[in-house]
Amino acid sequence: MKKTFVIAAALSIFASCGGNEEQSTAKEEKAVEEKQQVVNVYTHRHYEPDQEIFQLFEDQTGIEVKVINASADELIQKMKMEGAQSPADVLITVDAGRLHRAKEQGLLQSIESDVLESSIPAYLQDVDNQWFGLTKRARIIVYAKDRVKPEELSTYEQLVSEKWDDKILVRSSSNIYNQSLMASIIANDGEETALDWAKGLVDNMARSPKGSDRDQVKAVVAGEGDLAIVNSYYIGKLLNSADEEEVNVAKQVGIFFPNQEGRGAHINVSGAGVAKHAPNKENAIRFIEFLIGEEAQQIFTVANYEYPVLESVAPSADIQAWGEFKEDTLNLTKLGENNKKAVLLFDEAGWK
Amino acid sequence: MKQAGNKNIFSLKSNLKRFLRDSNQWSVFTLAIVVLIALPIIVIGVELFFGPGETWSHIVEYLLPDYVLNSLFLVVMCSVLVLIFGVSSAWFVARFNFPMRKQLEWLLILPLAIPSYIVGYAYAGIFDYGGSLALILRALNLEFVRIDVMNSYGLAFVLSISLFPYVYVSARAFFLYQANSLMEASKMLGVGERKTFFKLMLPLARPAIVAGLVLVLMEVLNDYGAAKYYGVNTFTTGIFRSWFSLEEPETAVYLSALLVLIIFALIGIEKWQMRKVKFSSAKTNTKQMQRKSPKKRLKWLIFAVVALPVLLGFVLPIAQLIYWAFLTASKVFDVAFFSVALESFGIAISSALITVFFALMLIYFSKWNALRMVKNVARIGVLGYAVPGAVIAIGIMIPTLALDKWLIRVLADFGIETGFLINGTLIALFYAYAVRFLAVAYNPIESTSLKIDESVANSSRVLGVGNLKTFFKIEFPLIKTGIFSAVILVFIDVMKELPLTLILKPYGVETLAVKAYEYASDEMVMEAAIPSLLIILTATLPVIFLNKLLIKK
Repeated sequence: MKKTFVIAAALSIFASCGGNEEQSTAKEEKAVEEKQQVVNVYTHRHYEPDQEIFQLFEDQTGIEVKVINASADELIQKMKMEGAQSPADVLITVDAGRLHRAKEQGLLQSIESDVLESSIPAYLQDVDNQWFGLTKRARIIVYAKDRVKPEELSTYEQLVSEKWDDKILVRSSSNIYNQSLMASIIANDGEETALDWAKGLVDNMARSPKGSDRDQVKAVVAGEGDLAIVNSYYIGKLLNSADEEEVNVAKQVGIFFPNQEGRGAHINVSGAGVAKHAPNKENAIRFIEFLIGEEAQQIFTVANYEYPVLESVAPSADIQAWGEFKEDTLNLTKLGENNKKAVLLFDEAGWK
Repeated sequence: MKQAGNKNIFSLKSNLKRFLRDSNQWSVFTLAIVVLIALPIIVIGVELFFGPGETWSHIVEYLLPDYVLNSLFLVVMCSVLVLIFGVSSAWFVARFNFPMRKQLEWLLILPLAIPSYIVGYAYAGIFDYGGSLALILRALNLEFVRIDVMNSYGLAFVLSISLFPYVYVSARAFFLYQANSLMEASKMLGVGERKTFFKLMLPLARPAIVAGLVLVLMEVLNDYGAAKYYGVNTFTTGIFRSWFSLEEPETAVYLSALLVLIIFALIGIEKWQMRKVKFSSAKTNTKQMQRKSPKKRLKWLIFAVVALPVLLGFVLPIAQLIYWAFLTASKVFDVAFFSVALESFGIAISSALITVFFALMLIYFSKWNALRMVKNVARIGVLGYAVPGAVIAIGIMIPTLALDKWLIRVLADFGIETGFLINGTLIALFYAYAVRFLAVAYNPIESTSLKIDESVANSSRVLGVGNLKTFFKIEFPLIKTGIFSAVILVFIDVMKELPLTLILKPYGVETLAVKAYEYASDEMVMEAAIPSLLIILTATLPVIFLNKLLIKK
């Protein structure tokens, strides 16, 4: 034990020395010039267009963007462990449910920003202003153009009818987008109906859930099933893939926005919140405001095929081709509140 | 009764006395290392007594049967496939001359250089709709019949084809070095080739084959990436689900504990069956087996049988990855990518050195201590390899978080404000790698050190030279090969490691394996090709080198 103790001690001394050194160099720099402004971003989005947006922000404000990439679950665990020492300023996730989870665990703080308040529709932001939606994605139904007529489709709920027996393709229930869809059904239809719905859908599945959203679309084209439930922006990605085969796949499916007569299609957001212990709170707010500015919103929609939250920015031509649609204006906080319930009901229904 | 009780107390006392008399500092050091290495496993074991989280009954009702059945299915299927691939290729390589025998002999090890989840991505891409197979068939004007690999059968195939070399290596070693005299005896008695193989060679090689097989099965149960991608729910995917989706670390710990029990049962079975066939562990024969040269047509048939696993486990996946790499090169290659590659490399080298250092300490400290009991206990240190990475990660987080919080409090009393010193830093990661891969370093070093006659070191000590000096002056140069292979083996394993790294990696630090996994789980499997190829490259070169080293020896 002695030896390992010595090693541990040596290592910690080493580590702390490193820290001091950093601090002192930082101080020196401060003495020489005004301290370099930074914003530390914990983000689940690993899309290339984001890099471009961060670069723009740096160029325009002189604030350096430091990024840490990981899944939302890991980032939340990380922030929890770091507690008051956390360097995080901004948390970005690809799902409102995870933002809600972060809020519940006291990892975010309320912020005052007229810009955010006025440009983002109320149902796309937290009631306490702890998080804000940045981009929207719709959970849509894609169908095989040669086998299904769009008139045959209507709602998510209708997917459990016998007509679609062995025809539906959807990925695993561990996927957050499915969990949020289920959470919205729990919120709209109640728990019991949601469970029945999940069971009915499992009955109608063409195969046991596997692979990604892209794989579901490919399986529709391959004839494994007729319908797939996927996120809208993956269709955009397929249409612009480096692989010619993927482009062909995307061209062979039709896109249907469900529940247009009723509450509208389920949407989810990629969103951001300011961390509870943010050391650079002002920069963090500026950063989020920049992300919902016209320039950034334009890049999100053109390069990543997401729907902008800012009304003055039109969706890119690629996604406008799918037509306008009515979206479910359920407050997205519900997605977080019902998340765990959704996972449990999925298991009960046997949705793998 | 009374007498017996007294006797017991007496013997306990005398044991303690003997311990105090015969123990030296090395006994204490050995025990300290064993405790440090076994700590994560002990922690998991202790957690069992605290009961699971509130969703446990939910998991037992809806998920556990699936986890158990799928894991059992994988164990059985992979055993069958791995034995077919591993034993047949080992036997043919050892026994016959056929075209390209020399090259295939080391090519058969190379599938080990590819992490199994990457083999999984590649096969999904080959058989995908619009995938490589479809393209080739279309070019040949043939009709495309889609074979679905993304299910538990496909997963068993993928795991087997990437893990069979463990069985190949140990079976080949047996056939090459131990089977010669028996083979000759059998020939003299006029027994045919086939009968000799099935009635004599196979039963005798059983311990060697089973030892390799147990390694394979541990890796199978450890797999996370491939099972997740293929949609097969196993214990390991369940651990991640209950931790992150259900937010219940307690339940994850409980699942981990069950998994560890299953694995120890597997090891128990291995030990038990080894005991039954102990007579077979013959002395190593220096004379290699004589190779037969079969007729021409048979020669090519054997070539085909031996080349098949190389084709399936190495050539095909690599070809698919290279194709993807060409499609995505411009997107993936940037400065950040090179820094990830360098980081990955640095982490693998450092943890290899640290782990080997621990293995050396464990081997030599226990040697220098005088107590048999401590010597036996030292072997517990290698059990970490049997425990899945995800489980080790949890086992390490629990005690180190407690230590971290304590450190923060204590340091705060001294007016020093710090964050966590162990968790979320490289220290936790290196510690975890050392726990998981100690056995990988331990075995090659121990086997070379056993070959050195004890009298060499003893005479040095008799001349009054201390243990440490004897080690550095005399023993170290003699076991250099062993140490070297240990470093390479751990290096490769760390390069490929995924589940443990995912949980414990410091934020801002990325490895190639994590990068590949992230791309794949973000629906960018094609983009995962370049980091994957780089892992394979950095793992392949040492594998080839190592094989040269071992054959020369």
